[in-house]
This record gives sequence, C-alpha cells and structure tokens, in this order.
Amino acid sequence: MIILKHYKVDDVSYVSHKDILRVLQRGLKRAGVDVKYSQGYVPHMLTYTSTPVPLGVQSVAEYFAVECNHIDKDEMLARYNLSMPKGMRAVASFYRDKNPNLAAIVSASDYEAASADVLPKEIEGITSCQSYVISTSKKGETVQKDIAPLIFALRVEGNRLVMRLASGNSNLRADSVVNHLNKNFGVNIKINDICRTAQLVGVKDKFVDVEELLK
Amino acid sequence: MWDKLKDILLQVQKPARYVGGEYNLPDMDKPCKERVLLCFSDKYEVGMSNIGTRILYHMLNDMQDVVCERCYAPDLDMAGLLRKNNLPLFSIETKRDAKSFDLIGFSVQFELQFTNIVYMLDLMGVPYFASERGEEYPPIVAGGPCVVNPMPFAPFFDAVLIGEGEKNLKELTLLHYECKSQGLSKQEFLRRASSLDGVYVPSLHNSTKRAVVANLDEAYYPTKILVPNCDIVHDRSSIELFRGCANGCRFCQAGFYYRPIRERSVDTLVKQACELMDNTGYDELGLLSLSTGDYSGLKDLVDKIKVEADKRKVKVALPSLRLDSFEAEIYEEIQGASLTFAPEAGTQRLRDVINKNINEEDILSSLTTAMKYGVKNVKLYFIMGLPTETQEDLQGIVDIVHLIKRLHAQFGTSKLLNITVSTSIFIPKPLTPFQWERQISMQEMLDKQAFMREKLRMKNVKYSWHGAESSIIEAIFARGDKSLAKAIVKAYELGCVFDSWSENFDYGKWIQAFELSGVEYKKFLDGFDEDEELPWDIIDNGVTKSYLLKERHKAYEGVCTSNCLKKCNGCGANRLERCRI
Repeated sequence: MIILKHYKVDDVSYVSHKDILRVLQRGLKRAGVDVKYSQGYVPHMLTYTSTPVPLGVQSVAEYFAVECNHIDKDEMLARYNLSMPKGMRAVASFYRDKNPNLAAIVSASDYEAASADVLPKEIEGITSCQSYVISTSKKGETVQKDIAPLIFALRVEGNRLVMRLASGNSNLRADSVVNHLNKNFGVNIKINDICRTAQLVGVKDKFVDVEELLK
Repeated sequence: MWDKLKDILLQVQKPARYVGGEYNLPDMDKPCKERVLLCFSDKYEVGMSNIGTRILYHMLNDMQDVVCERCYAPDLDMAGLLRKNNLPLFSIETKRDAKSFDLIGFSVQFELQFTNIVYMLDLMGVPYFASERGEEYPPIVAGGPCVVNPMPFAPFFDAVLIGEGEKNLKELTLLHYECKSQGLSKQEFLRRASSLDGVYVPSLHNSTKRAVVANLDEAYYPTKILVPNCDIVHDRSSIELFRGCANGCRFCQAGFYYRPIRERSVDTLVKQACELMDNTGYDELGLLSLSTGDYSGLKDLVDKIKVEADKRKVKVALPSLRLDSFEAEIYEEIQGASLTFAPEAGTQRLRDVINKNINEEDILSSLTTAMKYGVKNVKLYFIMGLPTETQEDLQGIVDIVHLIKRLHAQFGTSKLLNITVSTSIFIPKPLTPFQWERQISMQEMLDKQAFMREKLRMKNVKYSWHGAESSIIEAIFARGDKSLAKAIVKAYELGCVFDSWSENFDYGKWIQAFELSGVEYKKFLDGFDEDEELPWDIIDNGVTKSYLLKERHKAYEGVCTSNCLKKCNGCGANRLERCRI
C-alpha cells in the first residue's frame, strides 16, 4: 500500500470531499496505476482517505492511501502529480504493508488562518476557559457545542491565527471556530484563507505528526 | 473579483460549479488576441454534459491567438448573491467580467431555456436587445439546436450561427479578430459576417444556408477534454459515430436538421476512444449519434472498442438503439439488464404515418432474444397527439404492453419484468414534414394522459408522462416569430427562469406575460397553410420545403419512405455537402 501526502489548495478547495474521492480515482486511472479492486459484486478501487477538511478550507496535509501493484512510491508520486487537477499536488509518498487507517487514528489537526488585519490577543482567552460554548450549524440546524475540550492550542501571531483542534471521531471544524471569531471578536478571516498544515496522532500523551509516523 | 467571490462561494450550493480548475484545462495564459466567452443557458452540470459546446470550447482554445472561456447559468442562490454584492456574471476560468470579452457566444439548446438567455444578459449587465447595445458592447451571438427557428430569440443577438460551429464559429472568430485589428465597427463586422455560410444577422434579416463540415472524419474532435471535479448529468467520455440520420421519422426535427449523413471511420473512432479513455480516466465511454444502430461498422467498432475498454476497465454504453437495428450478437457483447424501445406509436397504421419503419414482429423478436439473455427492465417510449391519431392508436400502446407481458409469461421464468412506459406530447416542429400541423390543445393532452393512466394501472408497469403546460410553451417558441422576444423578456420580469426544470416552470406567469406584452401567441399553436410563408423560411437548413411537403402528403396516405441507406430519397440536404454513407 502506498500513502501519499498531498495538497488541496486553490480552486479544488471548493470541491466537496465526496467529489474529491472521484477525482482521486479518475486521476489514478489516468496515471495508469494498477490499483487493486474489491472482490465484490460491484468492484471498487481500494483507496482510503484521512478525515476531510470542511468545504472551502485549504490543506497542505491531506493523506490518501492506495492498494496497488507493481509501482514504486516515488514513481507513484511523480505520476500522481501529472494526473491531478491544479491544486492537488503530492509532496511525499510512503510505503506500508498494512493500512494504517488514518481516518481512525488521527486525533488532531493543525490549522493556520491569515487575516488582512492584525488579530486581537483576547482571542487566546478561549483556551483558558473551562467550558466555552458556541453555536454551530449542523445539517441546517443551529446546535450548541462546548469547544473548550476540543481546542488543544490557539495562538495569535500578528495577523495569523494558529490552532490545533480535535479531528477525527470527536471533531471540531476549523470553519466553525473562525465563523465564531468573525462574529464575536469583530475580525474578518475568510474561510478559504484557513489552511490545514498537519494531521496528528496521539501517542503517549503527546501528538505526533502523521508524516513522522509514516516515515 | 476573485477575492469578492471567495466571500460568497461558501454561501451557495455546490460551489465547485463556479470555480473551474478541471483536469485538462487548456492554457489560459497563452498570448491571445481574441478572448471568446462561451455561455450555456443552463446550469454547469447540464452544460458540461453537452458535447457540442465542449467540441467548440477545445477547438477555439486550440486555435492560435484565441482563448475561450466558459460561463453557465448560475443557480438562483448564486445569482442573488451576485446581485447583492454588485458583481457581474463572470467566466469560470479566469473570473473575468463576462462583458469584457471580445466575442460572446450562447448555446441555445431548448425552447424552455429562452428566459435563461435574458437572465444571463441581465446578470452581465447588458441591454437585452441587440438593437440597444452600442459599440461599447461586444458582439453577442447564438448557436445550438434551437437555431432551426431562431426567430423568437433572434432580437437578443447580433448574429445567429446556423449549423455546425466547427465551421461557422471558427470563421466568425477569425473574422472578428480581423475586423477588430482593422478598427472596424461592430456594424461593419456584422455586415461582413452575414456573407459567411450559416450566419444570420437579425438586423439585416439576410437569408443564409446552414454551415456543415464536409468531412466528419477529418473534423476537429477533442480527446483531451475537461474532466469536471463535481458530478454532472452525463459524466462520461463520448465518441461521435456519425451526424445525420437515415430514417426520416416524420416527427423528428433532429433527423432532418442534422443531414447530410456523414460518418467517422472505425479507425478514427477507435483512436479517439483510446485517447479519451487515457486522457480522462472516465470509467464509461458513450457511443453517440442519432441512431447508433445504423452505423455501418457498428459490429467491427464495438468489437475493437470492447478490447480497449476491457484493458482499461471501462464500460461501454450504447444509447439510442433503434429497435430494428438491435442485434442479438451486439446485445450479447454489451450484456445490459435494461432494454429501451421507442415504437413511438401504438398501431402499425400510425407508425406508417410517422414513417417509423418498425412492426410488431420486430418488437417481439427483439424482445424474445433479449429475454433469453435475462433482460429485467423494458422501457417503451411513445408520442401522443400525432397527426391522424385516434383512440384506437392509444389503445394500441396498451396492447403492446399486454403483449410483452404475455410473452414474458410464456418464457416461464420466475424473474420479474419491469415495464416502464413514457409518453411525450407531439409538438409539430419546424423542418419536419409535420411543421404545418396544429398543436393539440391542453384539454386533448390531459384527456389522452388520463386514458393512459387508467389503462396502464397494472402490476410491474410504471407510466410517466410529459407536462402538458410546458409542451404548449415549447410549441409556441418552436414555431413562433420575432414578436415573441418581447414576451420572453416580460416572462423573465415576472420571474420565469430555468423553465426546463419542472419545479420552476410556471404556466400562469407565461400566459400573463403574453397578455401583458400584447403578443398574439395562439396563432402559433394553429396549423399553417401549405402556401403560407413560415417564420423560419429565410434559413436554408438543407432539406427542402418541397420535400417536406411531399412527405407530409405521403404521411396522410400512410405511405412509408424507405431508409436513406437503401436509396436516396432526394431530400435536398446533399446540396450543403455530399451525403456519405
């Protein structure tokens, strides 16, 4: 199995995860990769992705795993980059015997967001709250959510916002946080200016970058 | 522009429709002297499924010094946000203001899309009528299948391209660049354009002859096509086997309009299919034409393509097979679980009137073969309201369904057979032998549908029908003249848009629009006299009026005309280019 770390930036950040899966599979076909198929009645490609980013959020740390035959991981990376639409570029590839099931083991993601203006330091106050409830929308309905336990870090550096948020089974969407900040702290950060910079796995009380884990 | 768009893209449904970035995108940064915008008067997912505009898009982008971009009708949520934020309609590729292009082309596919033309012109921020657009606006032209009778929408355009864009759009683009570099006015450009084949300039009301490509085998066909990032209606690659149709069904506009018949060779098609499969990664390949079963090398082609497709794990889809060309050996190759027949009429008498050369035996023998291969679904298509139709003909449809059920019972299989019957309403379209007929009234349509609903209430039979109200509007615009343009604008102002999407169609508003604009629309539903001048007579579409008239008379006598593959019937289309069969 080969795992690719890739970007999802610019135009394709507006393509939904469901559509991205198809884009990835078509790309593999164009690349001429001998992908393994499931053995069921309707065979499908054996491909796996990590937790998706919200629509409109960019990412330089997406992971995509493929079960395939007869291909070297560097060759795979080169072919991937020739066969994907603009905005999807692979930057590293790894070989694994077994599917690491990234979607299940990833527990946090790092995000950065840039604003045109300098951001107020009070934003960091959120991290010292025991409980911090925001309203987010879920399937068209507004729900209340306590985000304090889901924020592992949140810093302001000039006009940049740096966050480490829960990801995976218990998940905090970066766009929900930013929408809350825009509304309650009088800032203006565009959703499309948020970028996921890393996905992390919890190993013995600390977070390890997935890329380190795969190396 | 892009920065402002970022704010609104996440507030709309399916933003991927507006950002582009598809795989195989042509070079948008190449040095260019002419920037063309191709507009499609429906949503992205419909427009991207259209092969015609895709051919033209890639053709223009492959031309030296020309860059072509796309624009589709934005959905209502997007349009609302564009207006709210004071943003104009923009191109997908480089997000440029639509009206800043050198030349704008619209593809008009369907009569119920006419309000969308006004909708898009409105969003562009340009006056609706060509006569109100001065030199500061680029020429806006139209093309597409609706140009058979362009009169109802012609006043919106500076020119209407009649026929195949591979020829006249290419020539028009070159001419526009030439005129622009010489500093000539739009008026002068249009005057010169009117002498090209297949260019009708409404302000000059010039007669013109439809443009067609002489040799389809050598004609441009893109194989490095855009692969959309989001779901579209027909999400597959396609090859076009041939243009034109040899059958001459008397109700069918496409069958006459796309003549003369020109085929691509098997070798060319196999080459194009392989390139398409490799360049797109699609897992389905479609074989397109009006009557795929009539392609001279079909068996050879399917054999060769199957080998290539299997290698790449690609499925081959064969649409629109005519009943009589349905061959067991091909069916075995394709192994589908669904079978589609279009007998169009319920009795042999009426099938002779419309020149659908199929009899009951053909249907049954094809079905017998299909059942051997375990067909599960049978779809049947019929037209109601055809000239000379009687109650007996409607009963004939029901009888065919009974016959299929009996045949299935005789087979003694335990598998269920689902039968779907769909009826559409006959609209006497221009450039058919029935162009002089009247449109049946709304009450007649409703009565016929009620009859079918009642009679087809059977186990495992599903009946679906086409809206009566939208058929009336479609008929008016298929047969009307320039006076209707006013009504289109009025309907748009009353809120009619995306009329081809049944959830948006509002008949009441349309009737109100006709009344408010004072347009006499009922006359277009009546029949025309044979010696009367028809609104579309000024355009020579190939097939002659005298031939159509002869066919009309034969229809009333119930006399069939043989397939053109057997002998030339002298329809006149070969005056445009030689018919190659």
